[in-house]
Amino acid sequence: MPEDKNSILIDNVSFAYGSGDISETSLALDGVSYSIPRGSYTAVLGANGSGKSTLARLIDVLEIPDNGRIVVFGSDTKDDSLFWDIRRSCALVFQNPDNQIVGTLVEEDTAFGPENMGIPNPELAERVENALKEAGLYDLRDRESASLSGGQKQKLAIAGALAMRPDILILDEATAMLDPISRDEFLDLVEDMRRKKDLTLITITHDMSEAIRCDNIVVLSKGKLAMQGKPHEIFSSGKLGKLGLKQPENYALCYQIAQITGCELKPSDLMSEDSLIKAVIKMIPRMVSAYVPDLDINKPEPSSEVIMKIEGLSMSYDRGATKAISDIDLEVRRGEILAICGRSGCGKTTLITHMNAIFMPQEGDIEIHSKHGVLHTSDKKDKKQIRQTVGLVFQYPEYQLFEETVFKDIAYGLKKAGASAEEIKPAVLEAAQLTGLTEDVLSKSPFELSGGQKRRVALAGVLVMKPEILVLDEPASGLDPRGRDEMFKIISDLKARGTTIVIVSHNMDEAARNADRICAIKDGRIIHTGVPTEFFLSGACEETGLARPVLNVFADKLRNALAREVPNADFGDINFESSIEAANIVRAIRKAVKQDA
Amino acid sequence: MLENVSIGRYYKADSILHRTDPRVKTILYIVYLVAIFMIKSTPALAALAATVILQAVMAKIKPRVLWETIKPLLPIAILILVINILTIRQGNHIFAWKAIIITDYGITRAILMAIRIIFLIVSTSILLTLTTTPLKLCDALEKLFAPLNYIKVPVHDMAMMMSIALRFIPTLLEETDKIMKAQISRGADYDTGSFINRIKGYVTVLIPLFVSSFKRAEDLATAMDARCYSGGAGRTKLHPLKITKTDILVGLFLTLLAALNVVIDLSLR
Repeated sequence: MPEDKNSILIDNVSFAYGSGDISETSLALDGVSYSIPRGSYTAVLGANGSGKSTLARLIDVLEIPDNGRIVVFGSDTKDDSLFWDIRRSCALVFQNPDNQIVGTLVEEDTAFGPENMGIPNPELAERVENALKEAGLYDLRDRESASLSGGQKQKLAIAGALAMRPDILILDEATAMLDPISRDEFLDLVEDMRRKKDLTLITITHDMSEAIRCDNIVVLSKGKLAMQGKPHEIFSSGKLGKLGLKQPENYALCYQIAQITGCELKPSDLMSEDSLIKAVIKMIPRMVSAYVPDLDINKPEPSSEVIMKIEGLSMSYDRGATKAISDIDLEVRRGEILAICGRSGCGKTTLITHMNAIFMPQEGDIEIHSKHGVLHTSDKKDKKQIRQTVGLVFQYPEYQLFEETVFKDIAYGLKKAGASAEEIKPAVLEAAQLTGLTEDVLSKSPFELSGGQKRRVALAGVLVMKPEILVLDEPASGLDPRGRDEMFKIISDLKARGTTIVIVSHNMDEAARNADRICAIKDGRIIHTGVPTEFFLSGACEETGLARPVLNVFADKLRNALAREVPNADFGDINFESSIEAANIVRAIRKAVKQDA
Repeated sequence: MLENVSIGRYYKADSILHRTDPRVKTILYIVYLVAIFMIKSTPALAALAATVILQAVMAKIKPRVLWETIKPLLPIAILILVINILTIRQGNHIFAWKAIIITDYGITRAILMAIRIIFLIVSTSILLTLTTTPLKLCDALEKLFAPLNYIKVPVHDMAMMMSIALRFIPTLLEETDKIMKAQISRGADYDTGSFINRIKGYVTVLIPLFVSSFKRAEDLATAMDARCYSGGAGRTKLHPLKITKTDILVGLFLTLLAALNVVIDLSLR
């Protein structure tokens, strides 16, 4: 085959980590062939452990394929003399911003790559200056890199990459730890750079709305190439679920409508939102006769009984200069799921850290109406009781495991509370079962489990105390779509058992779908508290600086387009579950058309 | 919980000491180290204190920042004070009960030692960590110890390791804080119980901290690899070290002050 100078050729590549012995089971990549054209924008999708990151490492010559070959713009990665040329032309940005910053100052870190490449001054200084300007960080150039926000840190990683003047930019789940607005800013920046510099952009992601922005999608499953094609081809495939992927919410809604009306969507209908809407309009005649399943099970009215009452809570980390949270008044009702939403750094985590008395109130109080009576976090004597009543799970709890076995780790809290061995065993088994852990896992070391399983162990370690209120900080962050769904299944099961749940989240689609009420925080103050529909209709969502749910925005567009065809259709409130929303739309159209007739 | 620890942290300001070449500062640091351990008399110690305050002013470091640097290390200074008081047996007895003998010489000596420790911390902070970014410090050490390369000491690699260690101090403190809060939520208790139990409590913090540090180290190594790091050979510098006239003046001025303090001390003996 002639060497193609204008593509990254992945030719029957297999790779296994560890020693040279390649057994079928340990293959990270297994016979993958694909070609990425120069200047294209490609998304690599797949469940956790499907080999996506390995592919990135192979292209950047951080690893060499065991079998097959990778040829980057005509240079074979196995050729030792071309090794540095390839690595110089290729920049990688990873998931955790903290683990890729080398320099203490923003400017120092940006210079690290080109310094390693031996770029002399004044070109070096010019590259650093340009890269910082392009990433929008020039004004922060002598700030300490540790003091940047998550979004800024990832932009710093981009600046460091741009300063190397690469041909290829690979993002390895680079947006996974960002809030939706920071994520959009980051992607806009990267896509803009791609156009200006003719970069070949490869993004590894779990986020389907990110994938539809690309030209091409590659789907990996267990190290094998499962699918490849344009976004509309991939997302019209029936194999998605099996591969641990999901349709973006707007596609899902149209598919549900098509299913109810017995119509079919062609892959070409998925080219854009407009083509989707056109396709749905064509379904109007079929809607009239469609059987609409009654999915809109009215959510039981949450009880109005208050279980936690926060009054006038304020706190500052630096003795009054700036308040992390101020004058928080909030009631949590027994048995509800309350979502606390807001952008990164708005004070969400500070607020929940008060809920189980890790932070004692500087001003104000939290009153907890537990089974054991009324407790106050301002009262030192109640501390122990509060920590057993309110279970708090921080973000990425899997990094906090420490015991020799999963069983011991889950049992830790009970043991600390002085429970006997007879009490501990059934409690641990119950907590494990609630989180979907099988019994054989209990005797394993927590450190040999997968990321998703570790998170379940950490959750079980809190559930074992049988808390009346469970507070979760971003419980699904960093998980793939299947993992996210499973996590929310666990949460709704817990709710069904009567546990009151407080979730901190910046994923508005999930908050809207799962929460009974939403409490929005901006700059340490509550902007709005209410049911999801109210939150999105009142404009409070925009005011908080959050993006409306994808489904919500699209359903709005679709309803408006349909209303132009069927003017007297009365759709009612937008639902946040695509299947229910689809049924609502079809039902409203059917009713309106019948009335006309 | 651990937000206020500032050991080894850089303090951003635009001052003459911040701009001074890190090599000059490293040498000055050694000069002051010697001076601190030579000076014994009270007037000279007072003069030294005045010099250190002058340095802090030159570096535009606020008293609060300085205090936060000293605060976490005070227990060590106090421990040294107590140990010295209890172990030095020379001099006139002030207090004696069974094995506990406290002497006047012991007290003065112990106070001197404690003061030296504090001077040591403050000088390290002002001359090095607070005013010099870890990467610059690493550059300076690499240059100053470059001759050791001839006897096959991997100077660059050691300097790089040190600089990364310093860069990660805030990150790891944040992580420790998170782990402690999570474990307190699960019923851990670090403030009460016997000394042994408290130490045991910290083991449960150290294990996840170690595990995640290894993960971070691995990630960082990959990221450095991806950014074409291959050791010191062939590397260029964005801001190469260059000694200016001001640097020499600052160096001479502060060396003279240190010498003056020593002279005061010697003349009073």
